Amino acid sequence: MVTKRENPTELVPLLRTMWLIRAFEEKVSALYAMREIRGLLHLGIGQEAVAVGTCSLLRTDDYVFGGHRSHGHAIAKGADINRLMAEIAGRATGYCAGKGGSMHIVALDAGFVTATGVVGGTIPLALGAAFAAKEKSKGQVAVVFFGDGAGQAGAFHESLNIASLWRLPVIFVCENNGYAEFTPLSSHTLIERLARHAQTYKIPSNTVDGNDLLEVREAMTKAVQHARTGKGPAFVECLTHRLRGHYEGDPAKYRELSELAEWKEKDPIARFTRELKHRKVVADKDIAAIESEARKLTEQAAQFALASPWPAPGEVASQVTA
Amino acid sequence: MLPKLPRETLLDLCRRMFVIRHFEESLVPLHDKGVFGGHYHLYIGQEATGVPALSCLGGDDYLFTTHRNHGHLLARGADPKKLCAEILGRVDGYNKGKGGSFHTVVPSLGFLHTSAVVAGIIPLATGTAYAAKALKNGRITVCLFGDGALEEGAAPEALNLASLWKLPVLFLCENNGKYGAGRATSAAQSSTMAAFPLTDLPKAYKVPAQQIDGLDSGTVHATISQAVEKIRRGEGPQFVEAQTVRWPGSETNWPSVAQRTDSSLAWDVSGVPEKVREWYRSCDPLLIFIRELVDAKQATKEEIADIERKVKAEIADAVEFAVASPYPKPEEAAKEYFA
Amino acid sequence: MREIAYYEAKFEALNEIMAADPTVHLINGTFLSLSPHRHVYQELANKYRDRVMSPPISELGFCGLATGAAMAGLRPIVDISTGSFIFEGWPQVANEAANAFSMSGGQTRVPVVFHLFHGLRGGGAAQHSASPQAMLWNNPGLEIVLPSSPRDVKGLLKTAVASDNPTIFVDHVQLLDVKGDVPENDSPIPFGLAHVKRKGSDVTVIATSYMVQRCLQVAERLASERISAEVVDPRTLVPFDMATLMTSVEKTGRVVIVDETHQSCGVAAEIAARIVESGFDKLKAPLRRVSTLDVPVSYSPPLEDYIGPREDRIIEAIRAVLR
Repeated sequence: MVTKRENPTELVPLLRTMWLIRAFEEKVSALYAMREIRGLLHLGIGQEAVAVGTCSLLRTDDYVFGGHRSHGHAIAKGADINRLMAEIAGRATGYCAGKGGSMHIVALDAGFVTATGVVGGTIPLALGAAFAAKEKSKGQVAVVFFGDGAGQAGAFHESLNIASLWRLPVIFVCENNGYAEFTPLSSHTLIERLARHAQTYKIPSNTVDGNDLLEVREAMTKAVQHARTGKGPAFVECLTHRLRGHYEGDPAKYRELSELAEWKEKDPIARFTRELKHRKVVADKDIAAIESEARKLTEQAAQFALASPWPAPGEVASQVTA
Repeated sequence: MLPKLPRETLLDLCRRMFVIRHFEESLVPLHDKGVFGGHYHLYIGQEATGVPALSCLGGDDYLFTTHRNHGHLLARGADPKKLCAEILGRVDGYNKGKGGSFHTVVPSLGFLHTSAVVAGIIPLATGTAYAAKALKNGRITVCLFGDGALEEGAAPEALNLASLWKLPVLFLCENNGKYGAGRATSAAQSSTMAAFPLTDLPKAYKVPAQQIDGLDSGTVHATISQAVEKIRRGEGPQFVEAQTVRWPGSETNWPSVAQRTDSSLAWDVSGVPEKVREWYRSCDPLLIFIRELVDAKQATKEEIADIERKVKAEIADAVEFAVASPYPKPEEAAKEYFA
Repeated sequence: MREIAYYEAKFEALNEIMAADPTVHLINGTFLSLSPHRHVYQELANKYRDRVMSPPISELGFCGLATGAAMAGLRPIVDISTGSFIFEGWPQVANEAANAFSMSGGQTRVPVVFHLFHGLRGGGAAQHSASPQAMLWNNPGLEIVLPSSPRDVKGLLKTAVASDNPTIFVDHVQLLDVKGDVPENDSPIPFGLAHVKRKGSDVTVIATSYMVQRCLQVAERLASERISAEVVDPRTLVPFDMATLMTSVEKTGRVVIVDETHQSCGVAAEIAARIVESGFDKLKAPLRRVSTLDVPVSYSPPLEDYIGPREDRIIEAIRAVLR
């Protein structure tokens, strides 16, 4: 639903960003299938509303931390898609000069601090950025994205406890897509909503439909406000779904086809588009233009990446320590 | 309130509490004189939790305890001679001097491994429970830890596993600081734990949890025996937080005894140094238990004094035995680290 | 002789182990990482529903659970899967499991196996490519096994499960499709028995895990140049078979050690030190190590390919010791 607080003209850029993420990841997937990209690749197709709904409310100097499925978070935070694509393709022009890859994106120019290959690995790091932000008193916040699988990791609990005790300006954004790697959440814990843990540690929390961009924005507005004004951490759980397997190449046989079809119905881009059309904010031709613009930009990013040189092998010995 | 148990059993519990108290009070001068080194932790002040709680277990149940283990071992019937020898690092100790105060194990009493990492044993306890369930041997596991252990990630990971797989394990959290290991602040009950009450943590995982007065032996016994029964019936894990009041001797970095315990203190604390007097007057679980025994006419003061006298003699013998026991040969250090 | 793939031999072992001993439980993972052969694990999982557990992403929790279960009569095999993830369960492996037997004065046995895949895997970057066996070798109380062939993985896995000690079973995804002879009803392979994988007379190449396969290829290539390389695989780091190694070293007097842990304080460093201590006088030339460079593992293919014990680095080292 479009709330009264939302200004319609501000909504179109959100659709653009969602399309940019979608087109980008579909391009990555295609390049992977063509073996232009190798390595472990985790896509967040179907989860764009969480990334966009959150990052659209942040300042460039706010800190964002991701996980292994974070291309979308980086793009939503304003990362340059050429350098992002080049990194995923392992090229010298990539954000990390090809050293990090898909799971280890760093885009400091956009305030995307780091991602991780360890489930829940950046949650304690986000505390640190929030701690620093608190010291600096410029109203910055830290945001960390993680999945439901991270809820069973001890580091998650230790972080909630410390964030609460020290009133750190950190927003925990749990993308509960119902699957931790290859198994449904129910085989990982009896807890259905990870926001329950926030309650344990006295952190205000909210569970929202993560495929509804505006619902995410509404919850996130409150959370960001809470953190920015020095009231301490907040926790937002977004119920969503990844439309791809755990990693590219995962046949995802553990999911029922009907389940997938149901979630495709709830595709956040399609939903938001319907909403905008209903409100007469956009017409069909605008939508087509937005999509084709996104595809054009990602095509250019892919060309940039693939035309970029490989890093020189000797580079491995550089930048080991600062 | 006394546990609803026959007189003989109550007197046995009383004896065990005395064993813990006098054993540990005897350790302090040994350490001060340099008879043994290293950090050590005392159980004094928690006797009314450990002694009645462990009396609810069967002979082949498993127990895991931490750096504060002496009380649990003695409550379960460990030999003070071998325990003291272990703490002194002697060859006659339970672990031949390789474990010490931090790590004494007595497999015959169900203690397979004692960890000095505050939450180290919590996942391990889910393991013996998992094994017992798989082997269908009816054994349950009791995991004894302090409130600080819940601050480590291992604790929620293990609680989740125990709940998910319905493991036969009792988590007995002995909260000797009332509000967690940290200080109370204006914003929170504790400077180190945001969750309050602590039982909120297990409850989040749908592990039934209750908070009880760990100074009240009757409540401890009733609660633990019920919890044990539920676990044996296959209802999965249970969590109990027993609150006690920290013994003043444990508030300092190194334990110190401002007042040697004597059963007469149960009725007269006027001779106790003023700074610790209140604890002995109202928070000492051993003295509370003695008063209850006498008030309920389960024992006379003389009978209690007699039990205490015998225990003191036993502990004196244990210390003598341990001090006389030789150190292990140095080269033993390089042996027996593989089965 | 019967030729089968490494992953098949591994599963034959798991199947036979599970059938023979009801106290063996499998905890976490698939023992095949993300390999296309994952389905064979499913057969096992279906066959032994109560003994194949899929835990949450709680390495501390389930490494501890397996250790505790081992103390109480089971023989669990834990799949850490990606070797880097052992760092998430490190306190339980390094500080609890490894110390339990010694600390208890020899009372508490911990027959648990921690299985992991180490090393460069193709795009794993710095957090999915660790080879933690050198760190673990520096942590007494753990047995460490590194199979390199189908026959070895089967025989060593059986011994690992039978061992009363915590055992780290270090595997490598690049080995999964390697084919080799595995006799039917083969015996378990005892720990502490190195194996000469290829006889030679000019140089002793000591290699571990997947590097054994690479060194065998190198040896084959060099044979055409009339360089005769002997390839020796220690197979277990703890216990370590020094005698077999020294027999070869005494014969050739020239040594190259090839191993995928990082160079400093790595597996090759320790082996080199032992050889120098017990047989410096047998060496005709300074020995050489070929290890992974002392840098975090980079993602980009040319970078990742560059840092490992590459074939050209191995050949260069062999030529150097022969000079």
